[in-house]
Amino acid sequence: MRNITLQIGDGEFFTLLGPSGCGKTTLLRMIAGFTELDVGEIRIGDKRIDILPPHRRNIGMVFQNYAIFPNLTVEGNVAYGLKARKVGNAEIATRVADALALVRLHGYGARWPHQLSGGQLQRVAIARALVIRPQVLLLDEPLSNLDARLRVDMRGEIRELQQRLNITTVYVTHDQEEALAVSRRIAVMQAGRIEQLDTPQAIYRRPTSLFVAQFMGTTNVLTGVVGSRTSGPARVRVGAAEVQVADLDAREDESVSVCIRPEALQILGDGQTAPAGMAQLEATIANAEFIGALSRLDVTLAGGIPLKIAVLDELAGYAKPGKSIRVAYDPSRVIAFRREGS
Amino acid sequence: MKALTIAPLARLPVAMGVAAFLFLGLFLLYPLWGVLSASVLTPDGTAFTFGNYARMLSRSFYRASVVNTLMIGALATITTTLIAVPLAFAIARLDIPGKLLLIGLAALPLVLPSFVGAYALLLLFGRAGVVTQFLNSWGVPFGSIYGMPGIVAVYTLTLYPYVLLPTVAALKAIDMSVEEAAQSLGSAPARTFRTITLPIVIPSVLSGALLVLIETLENFGVPAVLAEDMPVLSVETYKLFIGETAANPSAAGVLGVLLIVLTASVLIIQRRYLASRRFATGARVAPPLIKISTGWRIVATSYSWAVVLLALVPFFAILVLSFMEFRGPVLHAAFSLKNYVELFASAQRPLANTLLFATLAAGAAAFIGVPVGWILVRTRSVWTGLLDVTATLPFAVAGTILAIGLVIAFNAGGLVLTGGWLIMVLAYTVRKLPFTVRASSAILHQIDPALEEASISLGVSPLRTLIRLVIPLMLGGIISGMVLTWVTVASELSSTVVLYSGPWRTLTIVMFQALEGTGAGVAVAAASVLIAITLVPVLVAYRLLRRYELSML
Repeated sequence: MRNITLQIGDGEFFTLLGPSGCGKTTLLRMIAGFTELDVGEIRIGDKRIDILPPHRRNIGMVFQNYAIFPNLTVEGNVAYGLKARKVGNAEIATRVADALALVRLHGYGARWPHQLSGGQLQRVAIARALVIRPQVLLLDEPLSNLDARLRVDMRGEIRELQQRLNITTVYVTHDQEEALAVSRRIAVMQAGRIEQLDTPQAIYRRPTSLFVAQFMGTTNVLTGVVGSRTSGPARVRVGAAEVQVADLDAREDESVSVCIRPEALQILGDGQTAPAGMAQLEATIANAEFIGALSRLDVTLAGGIPLKIAVLDELAGYAKPGKSIRVAYDPSRVIAFRREGS
Repeated sequence: MKALTIAPLARLPVAMGVAAFLFLGLFLLYPLWGVLSASVLTPDGTAFTFGNYARMLSRSFYRASVVNTLMIGALATITTTLIAVPLAFAIARLDIPGKLLLIGLAALPLVLPSFVGAYALLLLFGRAGVVTQFLNSWGVPFGSIYGMPGIVAVYTLTLYPYVLLPTVAALKAIDMSVEEAAQSLGSAPARTFRTITLPIVIPSVLSGALLVLIETLENFGVPAVLAEDMPVLSVETYKLFIGETAANPSAAGVLGVLLIVLTASVLIIQRRYLASRRFATGARVAPPLIKISTGWRIVATSYSWAVVLLALVPFFAILVLSFMEFRGPVLHAAFSLKNYVELFASAQRPLANTLLFATLAAGAAAFIGVPVGWILVRTRSVWTGLLDVTATLPFAVAGTILAIGLVIAFNAGGLVLTGGWLIMVLAYTVRKLPFTVRASSAILHQIDPALEEASISLGVSPLRTLIRLVIPLMLGGIISGMVLTWVTVASELSSTVVLYSGPWRTLTIVMFQALEGTGAGVAVAAASVLIAITLVPVLVAYRLLRRYELSML
């Protein structure tokens, strides 16, 4: 964990995203107070909190395994933090009922945790964290134990709840789709550093490092050498082919990695020409697979370099292995990074 | 401000750890240090010397005590293993009737006092024993059960569950797909058993066997009853210590150090070597029972029930004999409550002491053991490792030796404890601490640490989280550790015999003294009461014990 400076806005839904071991959970636990800082400080508003023990920070945390107290009822779980704050019994009752209603668990108060499903336990965990009216809500991979469909429903629900309460939220996940779907801003982390901090759209479309480009969804990474630089898009030689890059920060003859998203490539029909402003590539189909909403195509460029293409809907019969095709792309959707050491 | 950032979370474990170290340091390490220094000081206690070792080991009697102790240990370890492994296989993998009851009964010898078992053997097969006399009256000669044969027999029948339980657990934990894989690769069932199943369970078998070895090395009661003239380390140490009149108990110190070295080496092998060699297979379902012919089924069933019942016969015999009339040491076949009348007339105080000490020690062991268990599971540091070793050490220290150390340490100086009840309770607490530590850590491993963090992040301080959340969640494990402590303290003899004084005799002391005198009737009644005292709590808490304690062997 080094050189991390972050400012999270009031009421923002902020996500820490990265592969396992990147430090995202450590950073979250530092905010919660379960991992200590060697240097640096954490503030909420003007108040420094890293010097406070965790039980005095007034932060709501939702744990990966929910951490529902098995010896207490749903009500007992939700009331737990209020009792620690010596809130009066009457107020506890109303606030617990409100919190349960908020997560759509009205009437579940007397149940025991072992009687609830995974999704319901998740809601109890959220209600328990919110009922103490925390300044910040921390969520540590809250959806990783749910099945795929429930995960999509729950993330929408969490997002909706966060908007309604306008509570500053820090969300940790390794699932890039989840992060893109819920966050206002995302910090992509790797090896204890923040690789890129931006809106979901910017992170997906304009990654600032090869790591981010590869981590966010699928991308083609081609190794090439920058050709002569004149006006217009830069030209990068990739094997025997040439790829145009609209915005390239590299000198002539420098070695670069070129990233093109599969969905940024578009197959041209016979006799069809590339639309204005688009460049094109010659390729040979190696393999095609139909996966429902999309079809995926593996092609090879001149010189044998493989390339993945995603096409909406099915590939009306023209995708036969060995067939030569032309592929169009917008040079502004191609990103290139200087290769390390060059 | 910087100083404030230091370890907001670490304060609680540090405070509890320091308290645990203070306790173990004062009442375990310091007394052991006393034994060690007694062994290397001249009898007047003024100069350093290795002469004591030379003097003791030059006498064939004491050399024999080392050899005998090791012989008994080795033999008993082999016999328990030979008996327990087939039994474990039958219980885990064969279809034998009454299996649940069988497992329940098989675990009982662990908590029944082995010393009472030895006494039962004496009553049945000793010189004036019931069976011996019966056989002699028919003119059948009967060999002696004194010395090695009797001791090994008692150990075998009382200690076999140490091997049985972990082996059953290991056999049940085998992922059946590894056996299926072997068979699909063309291995016949017998070969699969030999090349796959057995190697997987062997670490568990050995681990249990080494615990048997430790138990036999440090046991005092069984050789005290059955050894007669044969020297055994734990008994000779006791005799030397009681007989020694010099300022420094150097001779007892030497034997004590030898015994600790033996037991500690075995414990180190058991922990370091075997702990890392357990194969975690993590089966979701126990492997299926093996189908066998009716003939084999009868063999397996009779064998299993024979072993389990045979081990309980001595205790049953004691209960029966306690209702018969003794005239001096001679038994008469007439029903009578005389023994109990005599016991309650003469030994009310020892009975009360036994109950009191067991309760105090169980409470104290929980009070210290639970925080130690929590530290061991929840924190990682050099100190944690050291605390783990220190808290396991009582396993390797014979009760006799710890008691001698306590006497040496607290006989004079600033803190005098000898002659009172407190020193006895302290000895019990230290000796049984591993039970509560182990039971607490076993259950803590099943409690998600995130629960504690959730409680703290909801605003409850770490100490209050421990008291209000963690301890209630741990209750099953804590109770099981306390029951085991209570039961084993009630039947404790080895440190009691060194530490007791006039008003603080216990039931075990009543029995021990009756062995030498003529009060056989009182001794049998006392033994029966002891059996009841140990059995009732175990039966009440049986499910908890199986879950948190016996399965952890």
